Amino acid sequence: MIEPDNTGPASLFDPMCFPGDTLCEAFTPDGMPREHWQPLMQAFDAIAPSVLAQRQDRVRRMRHEDGATFNPFDSSGGRGTPWALDMIPLPITADEWAGIEAGLIQRAGLMERILADVYGPQNFLHQGALPAELIYANPHFLRPCHGVVPVGNRHLTIYAVDLYRGVDGRFRVLRDWAGNPAGLGYALENRIVVSRVFSDLYHLTQIRRLAPFFHTLHTSMAQRVAGRGQDPGLVLLSPGPDSRIYFEHALLSRYLGYPLVEGQDLTVRNGEVFLKKLAGLEPVDTILRHIPEENSDPFALRLNNGNGVAGLIQACREKHVDVVNPIGSGFVDTPVLSVFLPALCRQLMGADLILESHPVWWCGDAGARAYALANLKQLEIKWAMERCGTPAPEPSPNVDLAARINAAPHAMMASAPVQTATVPAWNPDSVGPRYTLLRVFACATTDGFSVMPGGLAICAADMPTLLGDSPENQQSKDIWVYSDRPVTAFSMISSLKTVSEFTRGSDLPSRVADHLLWLGRYLERAEGLTRLLRSVFRRLSGETRLVDIPEFPFLISLLRSENTIPKMSDNSDTIPRYRELKRQLNTALYDVDRPQSVVTILKRVQGAARNVRDRLSLDSWRVINRLDDFGNMALSDPLDILEDTLFTLSAFSGLAMESMTRGLGWRFMDMGRRLERAINQAQLIRLGLPRVCADSRSALESLLEISDSIMTYRARYRTAFQLAPVMDLLVLDETNPKSLAFQCSQIATHVEKLPRRDQRRFATAEERLALKMLTAVRLLDLSGLDCQKYGDRHAALEGFLITMEERLTEFAQQVSAHYLTRVPTTPHFSALHGESSP
Amino acid sequence: MKYRIVHKTAYKYSEPASLSQNELILEPRDTAFQRVGQAHLSILPEPQYSSSRIDFFGNRVQVFMVQHPHTELTMTATSQVETISPGDPAPQQTLPWENTVQTLCGHSQVEALDAFQFVFASPMITIGPRMRDYALLSFPPGRPVLEGAVDLMGRIFNEFAYDKSATTVDTPVEQVLEERKGVCQDFAHLAISCLRSLGLAARYVSGYLETLPPPGKPKLVGADASHAWLSIYVPGTGWMDLDPTNNQIPGERHITLAWGRDYGDVTPVKGVVMGGGMHTLSVMVDVAAQE
Repeated sequence: MIEPDNTGPASLFDPMCFPGDTLCEAFTPDGMPREHWQPLMQAFDAIAPSVLAQRQDRVRRMRHEDGATFNPFDSSGGRGTPWALDMIPLPITADEWAGIEAGLIQRAGLMERILADVYGPQNFLHQGALPAELIYANPHFLRPCHGVVPVGNRHLTIYAVDLYRGVDGRFRVLRDWAGNPAGLGYALENRIVVSRVFSDLYHLTQIRRLAPFFHTLHTSMAQRVAGRGQDPGLVLLSPGPDSRIYFEHALLSRYLGYPLVEGQDLTVRNGEVFLKKLAGLEPVDTILRHIPEENSDPFALRLNNGNGVAGLIQACREKHVDVVNPIGSGFVDTPVLSVFLPALCRQLMGADLILESHPVWWCGDAGARAYALANLKQLEIKWAMERCGTPAPEPSPNVDLAARINAAPHAMMASAPVQTATVPAWNPDSVGPRYTLLRVFACATTDGFSVMPGGLAICAADMPTLLGDSPENQQSKDIWVYSDRPVTAFSMISSLKTVSEFTRGSDLPSRVADHLLWLGRYLERAEGLTRLLRSVFRRLSGETRLVDIPEFPFLISLLRSENTIPKMSDNSDTIPRYRELKRQLNTALYDVDRPQSVVTILKRVQGAARNVRDRLSLDSWRVINRLDDFGNMALSDPLDILEDTLFTLSAFSGLAMESMTRGLGWRFMDMGRRLERAINQAQLIRLGLPRVCADSRSALESLLEISDSIMTYRARYRTAFQLAPVMDLLVLDETNPKSLAFQCSQIATHVEKLPRRDQRRFATAEERLALKMLTAVRLLDLSGLDCQKYGDRHAALEGFLITMEERLTEFAQQVSAHYLTRVPTTPHFSALHGESSP
Repeated sequence: MKYRIVHKTAYKYSEPASLSQNELILEPRDTAFQRVGQAHLSILPEPQYSSSRIDFFGNRVQVFMVQHPHTELTMTATSQVETISPGDPAPQQTLPWENTVQTLCGHSQVEALDAFQFVFASPMITIGPRMRDYALLSFPPGRPVLEGAVDLMGRIFNEFAYDKSATTVDTPVEQVLEERKGVCQDFAHLAISCLRSLGLAARYVSGYLETLPPPGKPKLVGADASHAWLSIYVPGTGWMDLDPTNNQIPGERHITLAWGRDYGDVTPVKGVVMGGGMHTLSVMVDVAAQE
């Protein structure tokens, strides 16, 4: 433990204690702050600790609201945040960065040449520069990709390494990432958040900007496919919201302006890749791949999971699509490859490696194996070629490590223990040390590589967590690279204007339209249910005894008809005892296992929303994240919670509707909403009809209350509640946004605007249905409807409503069948039954 | 022998399939004991896209797509092949198996380097102590490598039951060893696993075997089937085929289609369809001797 020199005024950073055998990024071994940390320390010390705590909290909230929280809607998956952001940046001097930059460029070039050889002539194998095991026994070498020459001959477009600073102060490469490098989006997000929270410090210091790097990345990819037409079709392929780092995919997609697609959005025809959109197929030239390469092509790689695109490798082979990085580039991730880099670097580049690798010994080599066996105690035994995250080989009771090495020496390597430097990190309320790795990135330029001046500093309190495979247990920092020149402001948005976006017309992927339609439906369902429950709770919390509220049985029967609360065993309308009723209502609010509970439907709203996250504005996304709180408030007054929820839902609908262009996306979302509301409204009136006459006129008022039409009624009719005007308002009035007629007319308008192949009007089933429904409601005659003369008129209305419900359901099916079909794919393999000949 | 081989695979779908993507390895390749005359593939309905390439192991792979709705898909591969018998490989005169392992490990010759890739576990063939123990009974110290392999083939033939219902395309080797039954693919996988567990190089061979009708009965057209066996690398001699399903060293009546690390590398017909509902598959193979 080193006591810092305490002569100056107290600094937040002073009490930081470091384990004696590690190096500290911020302090020299004799406890003096390093020069390049001083402006940062002074700036932090000038802020009161309580304010700093608030800022760290703001950092956390900004990250959450931007959606960086790990699977925010998955109640089972915990709520850890991958690479939670620590607000104290990690500064690097311009000089030191120059070394990293040169080293990374050299290493990227070397890796690209290795890939070109391994997937091409394999000279290194034949000359012995790479051992045969590294190709033949390596799961990172994908045989179906052999012979595929990527577009522009670029085998590597994005390359990342994890660097650590050893006790000697030098940076070494711990791991290489090319198969599916992660963290670019988090680095970007960290910069956006930190530069906002500490905007003064950020703008007064000469820190190199990240935007030019993304511009370079985009330009080099766009140039490679530029000859194919005016609009390069670039997409970002993600495994979808189930990915732990889906946030990064959505952020990069929005930032770079590439549509965020999933495997099922793409299809291969004639050896080319297309994006499935409502109006048809659109060619794709470049895929920024964020799905694991072994899942990229379920057909060629014989894996049956839904993330990939069947036939993708064949399309690459024909050079019809540029996959970044190419499938197979994960060969670079092979842990033991680093052993062979120094010699290959000298052979190919005529120079020594600028950035050395962490020392490892490959047990497939006799000398290295002997060394490993002699030093088993000091070394860590690891898999030489397995993917990162595979559990390390453990000695079992019967087989010790030496025996395991000898059984399959080529599969094992020995690694020196890793000891990284520490950095100061905000530790709930003060500053403490964290171990750190630096993930830095390079991207291809027209003829070489360029390094992102910054990156993701990954931190953890102990080494196993730092080296482990769980971003949600690690923190991260923004890396500030000081510039020795003034930096110029550079915005990605302005620079990208020269490149036309990949959104031709207002067309959108079928999958997105499907999710938007359901988002609309769930939103409406949540709103309707919340409103109904609010009416119930209002009456529960009043002074009147329940038996004295005439409309109460009606409200309860509505809840039962939706299965929100259980039906009575005898199907009667009996109201359960107060305590039992409260229990049932509580379940209706919070039971996550009930498909009709509020919390379940809110989760569906969020689920549908996150599937189209890249289509929603940040503001609406922030609002929807507030719905998270619903389940956590079980102890508050239900009425307050319902009011809050209704408010949040309305705010979201308002924002989503306001911020969406009136394109197809908006149409599908609104169509979902109209459909759901029409079905609900028809059902509500059908169930309410017998009640309003039998029970009491107060049921009429409840009907208007649940339909959110009381104000309209009062303003328009200025009379007591009567059946005929109420029905007129709720069914026929096309100016009332809650009426059945209004929903039908909106649906008819939307259907008319959908893309179609046949130009003739009313050619499709959904168009004809929409017209039928609209005409039926317009022609409906409600005159003479009166509770006194209950009979034919009621029966006619009831029949009309039943037909309406059937047609709405059929309409929903037709729209799905026409625009949104997700046809399942089935792989088949011929079985093989060789006969045993006599 | 001269053969005309017809291999017809037909899918019938209960609902129209909108898109079908297929990969076929149905064109026989030339070997030291086999010459391929003509090879022809016909597909109905006519595919909109087709392409052909040589894979990592030197097999011809044909890829095609049918991109309009169809309820039936028929692929017929026809080829003319002439085979000769490899003669007596003299198993007792081959190198001791330990020396073979050494040769492979050193892989100083191109041939041994190429064979070395078939020493390791592969996606469908695990290796391990249980398979090694089973194999060692046939490989006492110093035994000539091919003699040991022929002995292993005989043990698998005698100790395992041929049972079509026991396994599927994906049955793991351990289960086959445990239950002692399977089909030709399983026996080939098991024998390969045993040999690789010792450090020997063994590959999977897909092909056909001409079947002979029972004495006095005429041969039925289409009664043949796809078949599979294995090949072991013997330094100085080259690759030697072994058919554990029939306990014989393949001769003129075995026709080689392709080879790879395991079934997954050389699946004769594999495909993926969109839609199509339920499908039924029928396969007809006819290996007809000419002259």
